[in-house]
Amino acid sequence: MSGYLLNRLGQALFVLWAAFTISFVLLQAMPGDAILIKFQNPELGLNPQQIADIRASYAADSAIWVQYIQTIGRFLTGNFGYSVQVGVPVSTMLAAHLPATLKLASLGFLLAAIFAAVIAFVSSLTPFVWIRGALQSVPSLFISIPTFWLGIMLIQIFSFRLKLVPVINPGPWQELILPVITLAVPISAPLAQVLVRNIDDVLTSPFVAVARAKGATRQWVLWRHVAKNALLPTLTIAGVLFGELIAGAVVTETVFGLNGIGGLTGRAVGSQDAAVLQAIVVFSALAFVIINLIVDLLFPVLDPRLRTKAGATA
Amino acid sequence: MTTKLKRLALTLAAISASGLFLPGAFASDPVKGGTLIYLEQQAHTNLYPPAGGFYPNGGILNQITDKLTYQNPKTLEIEPWIAESWTVNADATEYTFKIRSGVTFSDGTPLDAAAVAKNYDVFGLGNKELKQPVSEVINNYERSEVVDPQTVKFYFKKPSPGFLQGTSVIGSGLVAASTLALPFEQLGDATKIIGSGPFVVDSETIGKELNLKAREEYAWGPAKLEHQGRPYLDGIKYIITGEDSVRIGALLAGQADFIRQVQAYDEKQVEAQDYQIYAPSTRGVNNSVVFRPDNPLVADVRVRKALLHATDAKEIVTTLFSANYPQATSIIASTALGYRDISAKLAFDPEKAKALLDEAGWTVGANGLRQKDGKELVLTAYESLPQPQNKETLQLVAQQWGKLGVKLTVLAGDSGSRIVDDLDPLKTPVSPAMVGRADPDVIKSQYYPKNRDVLRQKGGQSDKVQSFADDKLNGLLEALSSEPDREKRLAIAGEVQDYVVDQAYAIPIFEEPQAFAGAPYVQGIAFEAVGRPSFYSTWLAEH
Repeated sequence: MSGYLLNRLGQALFVLWAAFTISFVLLQAMPGDAILIKFQNPELGLNPQQIADIRASYAADSAIWVQYIQTIGRFLTGNFGYSVQVGVPVSTMLAAHLPATLKLASLGFLLAAIFAAVIAFVSSLTPFVWIRGALQSVPSLFISIPTFWLGIMLIQIFSFRLKLVPVINPGPWQELILPVITLAVPISAPLAQVLVRNIDDVLTSPFVAVARAKGATRQWVLWRHVAKNALLPTLTIAGVLFGELIAGAVVTETVFGLNGIGGLTGRAVGSQDAAVLQAIVVFSALAFVIINLIVDLLFPVLDPRLRTKAGATA
Repeated sequence: MTTKLKRLALTLAAISASGLFLPGAFASDPVKGGTLIYLEQQAHTNLYPPAGGFYPNGGILNQITDKLTYQNPKTLEIEPWIAESWTVNADATEYTFKIRSGVTFSDGTPLDAAAVAKNYDVFGLGNKELKQPVSEVINNYERSEVVDPQTVKFYFKKPSPGFLQGTSVIGSGLVAASTLALPFEQLGDATKIIGSGPFVVDSETIGKELNLKAREEYAWGPAKLEHQGRPYLDGIKYIITGEDSVRIGALLAGQADFIRQVQAYDEKQVEAQDYQIYAPSTRGVNNSVVFRPDNPLVADVRVRKALLHATDAKEIVTTLFSANYPQATSIIASTALGYRDISAKLAFDPEKAKALLDEAGWTVGANGLRQKDGKELVLTAYESLPQPQNKETLQLVAQQWGKLGVKLTVLAGDSGSRIVDDLDPLKTPVSPAMVGRADPDVIKSQYYPKNRDVLRQKGGQSDKVQSFADDKLNGLLEALSSEPDREKRLAIAGEVQDYVVDQAYAIPIFEEPQAFAGAPYVQGIAFEAVGRPSFYSTWLAEH
């Protein structure tokens, strides 16, 4: 077991390092940078000499490998640098923006899981073929809806026409209602698809036939035997979907004007604020790695077969 | 009243709104109290006062800072504000201001001669250590002198006739010593900007919202305004709402009171519900397309002239915009100081355009594109995000030029390569440009190599320029910014307008307004001379 854990941890560290390095190289490869964007602004009326002085003060033109080593050193000591555009330490910005995104993402994911479960179980339980067909085509619909459009439509209908929830100046929970739905819809689609598929697979397994032969009802079998087995692959997908969640948050937060990591990312991209982007990438990678690690560790807990296997190889 | 008449009346009212209340059903005594919900399209970037040219910055600075003088938006005359009176010597190299007594910054420190001197030393000379740049509205600044606690004197190396107007602009807001002591990059934090204005920053969530509250003891508004004392509003809540449709929808659904940046195509929707469009002119250099003559493709004046005559500004204005966007008749707005009507030189004339290109040796090739010496006349421009419908404008220009066999490629304004390519005339031979300021100095701001340098001259903003420099233009611009005699100065302004169009350096398209929309119960909205809102006299009627 400890070998398995060490192996996993090693992989996680490698992923983190790779995410850092790749994003660093990509950000460096882009033409222009945050300093140029901020200070080349004609409204400031700086001459090229002044701009050169400013660049020197940020050490923006030192060799790339020097910057790389300095940056990695800073990250290891927990110093993420300064945002050039806003002029605030990046760690302060992350701390200020993280709670909103955590709330949005976790509620969005929860709602997506509920959507997916409802679609999967209702479609499996229903005796009517047409309901089953209709429900099972919902995921394809959900995944095709652009998040941006969905957000705007929800605002137009529920906020501006029906006046049910304000989008301007809402309360702390009000402001989450529409964004959470917007985010949950595309995330729920792959979850539902995988769940439906697995329920179907498990339902055809011999042990289900045995249980049914022993007189168990369809519902009882579904809850007691099928659900548990069908959840495992869904859990894997859920870990991978975290990436989608972050991407969806960028759009959702921009449309709804929420002050989270997604909105921050959007603005930082616009101003090529490398320090902020670098920190966001590393943070996202860290969260991604942790979530998948948890999923991997949950597997043996949920499935005794994996437990013995892992024990046997270790 | 028919819609047309109403629109005209509203436009007139908006243009002339100088703290005057708009006529309408609500015209009664101002109501005190309430918070104005103001939806802003973009977050502010930096609140160093000279960076106030960026509209989101200016929209905040205009409420929290006062200026030495007040430019009456109706007459463009300079009136007393923090300065009670002033004198200027004959060649405009010495300015003496008498400072109103009893004015304090919101941190309690006095706004006296010493504080004014400190502000202008930074705005006029910059501060290298703190990375604070020089203000683009101050030319030839030398030093300040505190004559007595209420009198300050400024000395200039050369005549600086635009300085008096420069003291009234958004970029000249006065701030406390504690603000000036901060490095430039920390001035993005609004709570650190201490001014003497009618509103004070209460709290902010960077990138999301900003709350201002009224300053109860405020008693030093511009002397000639009808409204004196504290502002009517208790506060203003700025909420960043990037999406156009969300801003308009929220206003019409009653979730907001006032919004900035209304696209021309949304105006009808707003007016149909009796909401008001405010479109104050920016009174500066018109929304234009400029050339970078360092690029050999547009080095020939005949080519530039051909493209000027191939551009149908009227079609652009009628297709994409509204009556609030008048077609340009010079390189500066007709409401700008020193304006000269040169519309005759800007006529749309495709035949003349063709003849000019033929004459310059550019003939139509097999693929329909003009060619010369094996090179095709293919030009590139980057869209400018802050300008209204700029991409659509450029694309329409591209269509118009296309009829002549000239290809204009329009690239997205948010592409990473824009800022670097924009400095290189070979990569961006054509560019959109505009700037607002109600003084002839604005033309210099736009064209002078040491300022915005839109033509990209050698020795200017870019080190990629090979050889292009126009000494005659630069000479005229220098004269414009240093001619002390008003009449002579305005004559030079006229000369510059003629010269820029004769050289076809720029193709002016329309006079750019700043478009705002407000709910019917929002009264007393005023704008400074170049279209930044002032909420000092604003009040919310019963609704």
